Amino acid sequence: MSATPNGTPANGNGAAGGYKWHNKYPHLGTGPVPADVFTSQEQFELERERIFKKVWLNVGRVERIPNPGDYFVQDLAVCNTSVIVVRGKDGAVHAFHNMCSHRGNKIAWDQGGTCQNFTCKFHGWSYGLDGKLKFVPDEESFFDLKKETLGLTRVAVGVWEGFIFINVDPNPTETLQEYLGDLATGLEGYPFGEFSTTSTSWTSEVNANWKVIKDAFQEVYHIAFLHKRSIPDSFTSKDNPYAHSLDVTLYPRHGSMSLFGSADYKPSPVAKLAAQHGEIVIRSDFSADGLPAGVNPLRSEAWSLDLNVIFPAFFVDVSQGSYFTHQFMPIGVDKTLWTSTQYYTKATTPGRRFSQEYGNVIFRDIIMEDGRTFEETQSMLSSGAKKEFYLHDEEILVRHSHHVIDQMLTGQPVDRAFAANGKEAASHA
Amino acid sequence: MAESDWPAAFSTLQPFLGWALATEAERTHKRQTSEMADIQAFYVAMLSHLEDVLVYLNQFPLERLPSHAQQLMDMTLSLAEIAPAVELFGQPREDDTFDPFRFVPQHH
Ligand code: FES
Ligand SMILES: [Fe+2]
Repeated sequence: MSATPNGTPANGNGAAGGYKWHNKYPHLGTGPVPADVFTSQEQFELERERIFKKVWLNVGRVERIPNPGDYFVQDLAVCNTSVIVVRGKDGAVHAFHNMCSHRGNKIAWDQGGTCQNFTCKFHGWSYGLDGKLKFVPDEESFFDLKKETLGLTRVAVGVWEGFIFINVDPNPTETLQEYLGDLATGLEGYPFGEFSTTSTSWTSEVNANWKVIKDAFQEVYHIAFLHKRSIPDSFTSKDNPYAHSLDVTLYPRHGSMSLFGSADYKPSPVAKLAAQHGEIVIRSDFSADGLPAGVNPLRSEAWSLDLNVIFPAFFVDVSQGSYFTHQFMPIGVDKTLWTSTQYYTKATTPGRRFSQEYGNVIFRDIIMEDGRTFEETQSMLSSGAKKEFYLHDEEILVRHSHHVIDQMLTGQPVDRAFAANGKEAASHA
Repeated sequence: MAESDWPAAFSTLQPFLGWALATEAERTHKRQTSEMADIQAFYVAMLSHLEDVLVYLNQFPLERLPSHAQQLMDMTLSLAEIAPAVELFGQPREDDTFDPFRFVPQHH
């Protein structure tokens, strides 16, 4: 079940191949997953209370708020709130519920900017960047106002490698570092800062459950079919026609998958020139030189990129020279804000700018192929015609994700033992 | 732009100045609303000069391109925009794709 010497995955995971990922993580079983988890309002309400209001959620990167007073607003419909994320005078990142202490009005009505104070538009209460209530108009006419207790309500915030996470649980049960765990350790040292000096981002409100979207981005089984026009030979080859992945690592909640890159890849004329002038993400001739051990963990020579799925709905997909993220923010059971962002080192030359634009366009056109499935799938899920779905061995991140959600919704502790099992499996692979 | 600023070597690209568009939204709109024959003609013209255009542009700092160079730059970005239409899909928009007008760039 190990990769062949040059890193090409064996052709076929099943029977002869030994169900590669199932053998590594047998505790996940092989059974079907229920279909109603994508359409049930009851399920969605449980996900809201037991997952999204309890865990660390990515809301962006530090480059968005470089200076004291810079802020942005993250609407979190799934947590029934909106959050202000601001760079304080102390240089640290703070987060607050976007809500005035007087009578509840939303403080920031815009999506971001720079300010010295947050002043409520309703009656003019004013708060410092540290959330403290600083000024109340006509204060003398209030009764026993204890201003020091009436600041903005803090939201727990943490920064990992420049990624800002918040947790709306008033008493988070674990720190961000604990939550990210070994997945984070393996990625530390990746040049996220250097590669984040420019970014391109697209967003869309999609009529689909967040898990429909997430699941489409956490398996490679679809590549040879859905992406047959856009990437006919980047992730597939004669020896690996179904884009079998190089490696899978599961954590208690998160998961990573290291993707095969094909030597058969023949760049188009424009792709070739773009690659000569800079970095573009869809390539197959990458090495992981200089990248931390958690990236391309097998150090395969046939590597393209790694998917890192941070539970519940944030992906940090890393490659050589650039990386991209997906963020899926649920709005309702069948409505999700989908945001994908590609990150680069800021181009200073026209050639590199052209190269990055090609990278952007091809990335965008590929993920719009994924995007087509979201609403088509959701529209049929609501028929209720199918009760369950059957997963391929390469869909193990999907299986894992549904397993973790089920554990959290039914109040079971996430099974920490299997992280250790997973590690053991990895070291014996 | 003064006529004389446009590099003589790229005179065959001048008829395609309509592709000198500054934002991704504009470039996407042009790709999605153009006839394939027009996209193809732009592709052939641009690609035949692309290497020289990039060498030419690289003598300027990206943030301070003279106006004619900025137009050429934006045309290379349009080439990037339409490349998949020509090289992969054979049509401006692939049949089986998410609505490109609903996938909104947050950058410029
Ligand atoms: S609600 Fe904000 S000042 Fe009254
Ligand atoms: Fe895909």
